[in-house]
Amino acid sequence: MDLVRDCLDKQIDDRFKRRMGRVDGIVLEVEPGRPPRVAYVELGVKTLMNRLSRRLGNAITHEPYRIPWGKIKVGLNAVRADVEAEKTPALEWELWLRKKVIGRIPGA
Amino acid sequence: MKKILEIALGIVTSVGGFLEIGSITTAAQAGADFSFQLIWAIVLGGLCIIFLVEQAGRFSAVSGRTIPDAIRERFGFNYFAFLYLVLALVTLLVLAAEIGGVCITLELATGIHFQWWTVPAALLIWLVMWKGTFGVIEKGVSLLGLVTLSFVVGAYVIHPPEAQVLRGALPSLPQHDSAHYWFVAVSILGASISPYLFFFYSSGAIEDEWNEGYVGVNRIIATGGMTFGSVISIAVLVLAAMIFAPQGVKFEHYTQLPQLLVPVFGYWGYWLLVASVGISCLGAALEITLEIAYFTAQGFGWNWSENQRPRDEARFAAAYTLTIILAALITITGIDPLKITIFSMALTAATLPVSIVPFLFLMNDYSYVRVYRNGWFSNAVVIVIISIAFVLAVVSIPLQIFGGS
Repeated sequence: MDLVRDCLDKQIDDRFKRRMGRVDGIVLEVEPGRPPRVAYVELGVKTLMNRLSRRLGNAITHEPYRIPWGKIKVGLNAVRADVEAEKTPALEWELWLRKKVIGRIPGA
Repeated sequence: MKKILEIALGIVTSVGGFLEIGSITTAAQAGADFSFQLIWAIVLGGLCIIFLVEQAGRFSAVSGRTIPDAIRERFGFNYFAFLYLVLALVTLLVLAAEIGGVCITLELATGIHFQWWTVPAALLIWLVMWKGTFGVIEKGVSLLGLVTLSFVVGAYVIHPPEAQVLRGALPSLPQHDSAHYWFVAVSILGASISPYLFFFYSSGAIEDEWNEGYVGVNRIIATGGMTFGSVISIAVLVLAAMIFAPQGVKFEHYTQLPQLLVPVFGYWGYWLLVASVGISCLGAALEITLEIAYFTAQGFGWNWSENQRPRDEARFAAAYTLTIILAALITITGIDPLKITIFSMALTAATLPVSIVPFLFLMNDYSYVRVYRNGWFSNAVVIVIISIAFVLAVVSIPLQIFGGS
């Protein structure tokens, strides 16, 4: 598998096929004397800003959400994570907006 | 029978997206200033958008993905972020112009200054988004938009000189005001080849659950809808050429718009014009708002669909709400909507390459479109469109400065 072509920036869904974001970054672990190992995929604004520029990334204090590689399955159209999206920080904003803003407007 | 109905409805709804304040204004300006001479620009813009919309629809029907989704995936976040920023800024201006168009028609209908209508118009757009489904927006508003056929009837009734109309369909060099001539031509192309149109169409294919079986339907809808839209734009140009040009009247303010139909239909012409412009601007405003929200949600992998309840996709609902507020803030400043329209059309032209270049790669990527990849002819057309887009990008801003007034 080509990590950048097949995984990076792909849509990521949870185990119930709910959209939870995109693969914003891939974290590799490098140990001396061993080949690099894919450890996590990352979702979050900080990761995205880091891709634009380190300075922008450093300005964001909110840490990205990491999903261990073992819970990831790379499919043809999307990446599936064996987690429940609503219980992860990936939908933090979505749930906050639902509870505090959008959900309070009549007809939501 | 079902497919025929679907095609007919699809063509009508595509017209809804094509005809908006930009195409009406630029066509009226072209007719008033250069008689029939700029019909070719509408024809060229129409041909370009037919190909792009067809490809956007084919891509989504076959791959089950939208174009913005694939751009993020294939071109990475940095390119996506650049395209997103450029497109969001330009599209916000276009949306402000469409809201301005709705407000102007309300001013024409009531006599109350357009600025006062900004908040009610923005609220109306938001309410349709909030309560309506994709079908309501796509089909409902577009069916109402059939009233714009009054332009075509008007252009027919007024008996334009056929030879001159046909001659106008072929490109020719200006006899006077060269900079202004090319500026209007560029604005027409900017109004016709609107990125929001093909991005919206691509999302619409997913909302309507198109699959490979729709490739043929898509081709007919894209060709029929965009041709139909171009014909209405040409009708506006013909009316302006017959009514404004002989009197040497410049099209400088929206209040002049009713004069396009009043000489043909009398009293009812006034109200037909108000309804035509109002409904097409409302339809375009809804589609543009949706498109910005789609683009945002698809690029960041959020849940998105106009068919779901707002609370089930809070970020998507927040995106379109914020979009409407920002555009309304531009309109409410009271800047002449005509100026915003003309400026945003030229700016659209300036930013076209970033939106169109990805087509060439995506439409040839087997992993997305499999056997429905572009053939040599479609690729050649896309390369020609990209070349036109690059020329437009280079000349639009200088022309805005030297030929914009």
